[in-house]
Amino acid sequence: MKEKELVKASKEGDEEAFSILVKNYQKKVFNMAYSLTRDPQVADDLAQEVFIKAYFALPRFKLRSEFGTWIYRIAVNHIKDYLRKKKKMREISLDDVEKKLISEDKELFLQERELIEKQKMKIVDKLIHELPEKHQIILTLRDIQGFSYEEISRILNISQGTVDSRLFRARRMLRYKLIPFLKKKGGNYEMQKS
Amino acid sequence: MKCKKAERLLSRSLDGFLEPEEEKMLDEHMENCLNCQTKTKEYHIILDALKQKKILEPQPYFWERLQPKLEERKKFEPWMRWKWFSIRAIPLCSALLLVFAVVIAFFLPSKSEEMSQTETLLLRNLNPLQETRTLLEEERIEDKNIMLIFTALEEKNEIRRYFP
Repeated sequence: MKEKELVKASKEGDEEAFSILVKNYQKKVFNMAYSLTRDPQVADDLAQEVFIKAYFALPRFKLRSEFGTWIYRIAVNHIKDYLRKKKKMREISLDDVEKKLISEDKELFLQERELIEKQKMKIVDKLIHELPEKHQIILTLRDIQGFSYEEISRILNISQGTVDSRLFRARRMLRYKLIPFLKKKGGNYEMQKS
Repeated sequence: MKCKKAERLLSRSLDGFLEPEEEKMLDEHMENCLNCQTKTKEYHIILDALKQKKILEPQPYFWERLQPKLEERKKFEPWMRWKWFSIRAIPLCSALLLVFAVVIAFFLPSKSEEMSQTETLLLRNLNPLQETRTLLEEERIEDKNIMLIFTALEEKNEIRRYFP
């Protein structure tokens, strides 16, 4: 069955059709949530909530856009809401988090010589999470998940020009953050070699 | 071309969206700018790292875990919809009431705009009672005439009674 037919059947309450759609998109939705939260358990919960939301919003889905674009839009908005709520909670216990971040930084610098693949990912992951939310999202969609500019513009409801400029700013910010790690003795472009 | 513009083009070239002319300009700049060459390397490191990020699998039995949640939610859906509506209904109703009040206030004619007849007469230095007095006098004359008619009729009736 084609995707449109699956969506139509799901709209009419066919759970089996919806389960196929879920299976087709669960991995991407989960990975999007994981890229932005860095917690597999939270990402799994968020992905499930995204599909629950989508299921009950299906009657309002007009099939004008692709199901994929629609579900990613729901996912991005849902994850954004979660991050905002989490940020509010984080503000309450700011001291603990700051201490944790400082210790993480020290740890990262100490392990410079062991910048193997795992640590490389850890650093990039950590640095992405220091970026503003909208930049994190655009990097995740383009550079991790590989969506086209057009798809991103439809998911985020922004123009392709905005996608271009936002992506440029996000990459530049990430580069600025990564420079200290690259230029440290032993860290400079070792990442590339490893 | 300045380094700032070159960096912008560089970002686009990483996605392969450069026009041939822009690509040529960028290449020319890159040949002579060590700083931008370093930037290119740094961008490649970043993109490689991002692309190498592992695509993870969600926890097993994703659909099987999702299905009971959907069933559970279905039970509460009417209540959830009512809750959703009621939360939005309060400000919506308040806004509608406000608009209604404004419309009424705008279209209702104010009393102060039109003067009463008495006020007009007073403004013209005329006695407002003058008109009333003439009216009353007219009424009095009418009353008198009616009374005369009645008495005349009564007199006629009396004649008929006593002289059948």
